[in-house]
Amino acid sequence: MKLLPETLVVAGLGVAFGLLANAVSPRGLALGQNYFPGSASAPPVTATPNVSSNAPVANTSTSPTETAEAAVFARLQSKGLQPATLAEVQQLLADPRFALDQIVVLDDRDHEYAEGHIPGAYQFFHYRAPEFLPTLLPVLMAAEKIVVYCGGGSCEDSEFAALMLAEIGVPKDKLVVYAGGMKEWKANGLPLELGERKSGRLAPATR
Amino acid sequence: MTAPIAKSEYIRLLLRWVIGGLFIYMGLSKALHPVEFLKLVRQYEMVHQPWLLNSIAAVLPWFEMFCGAALVTGVLRRGAALVTVLMLVPFTFIVARRAFAIHAAQGTPFCDIKFDCGCGSGPMVICHKLVENGLLILAAGWLAARPDRMLIFGRRKSDAVEPVTVS
Repeated sequence: MKLLPETLVVAGLGVAFGLLANAVSPRGLALGQNYFPGSASAPPVTATPNVSSNAPVANTSTSPTETAEAAVFARLQSKGLQPATLAEVQQLLADPRFALDQIVVLDDRDHEYAEGHIPGAYQFFHYRAPEFLPTLLPVLMAAEKIVVYCGGGSCEDSEFAALMLAEIGVPKDKLVVYAGGMKEWKANGLPLELGERKSGRLAPATR
Repeated sequence: MTAPIAKSEYIRLLLRWVIGGLFIYMGLSKALHPVEFLKLVRQYEMVHQPWLLNSIAAVLPWFEMFCGAALVTGVLRRGAALVTVLMLVPFTFIVARRAFAIHAAQGTPFCDIKFDCGCGSGPMVICHKLVENGLLILAAGWLAARPDRMLIFGRRKSDAVEPVTVS
């Protein structure tokens, strides 16, 4: 076969194979889904020498990224979401309504969830939302407050998850984004729940 | 009787296996973690339509594996080599563009810049990546440029169809 026709055959078969493989893969992406709702642009350019994005956050009062945190808070508020600090999240977790699922915490991470999450948090990995929504949605609709978090640092997934929930009908005024996320939680040595929700297996966070 | 095989044929076969193996490995590492790859593709700010962004992240890893398999097996090898070149040239350009953006934003010396370019090999020093891609483009371009006689797994085309001689 001549080179050009052969190239077109490879390209065509390759695309068809890719579409088919994605469709049958359990990890496949939903092509029509907007995984980054409310996002006008990509996250800021970062690379390894940018140590500030990897610096541990000791606690909320001495954070070296206060201005960055303020910018994140302003961005969340501009999208109609309520940002929360670590102290505010702890206050919500101590509220008796938390045990009654009137305050719900959502962890927007994949396999990292089982390795340790905020005790009592439900997993809601928004990139595979259909897996979680059938059981979660009734809980979320009944809740008064929903706290969403992800890995922390430069992670924006909690914001996308909150906006995705708002798009499917969860009232925005219920949604709170804990931007500090797991990074800040761990940095403060707070306990983690291992495995599934309510597994009863608690572990201290390693800083 | 078959003609002797030139040394360059063995070099071409080896290059096919190396490039093909690399593409299968890199494609597989992305296909196993499509969400991470989706986020990396988004960082390039090349596309903003969700369906297009998702399609690139969903199809590209499998597409790379398909081309890699074609190179390794020898089926449609020249077409696969040319497709490889046509993928690598724009990839290299956008990776370099992003590195220049980081260089401009952070003032980091260009060859100290290290990031995960979404190439499937994790965070890499950008200068190494550009040299690697340059070599791959040259090698794949050579494979595409002229036909060879090696077929699947190094078997020669003439061996595969050698007529039976009757004594």
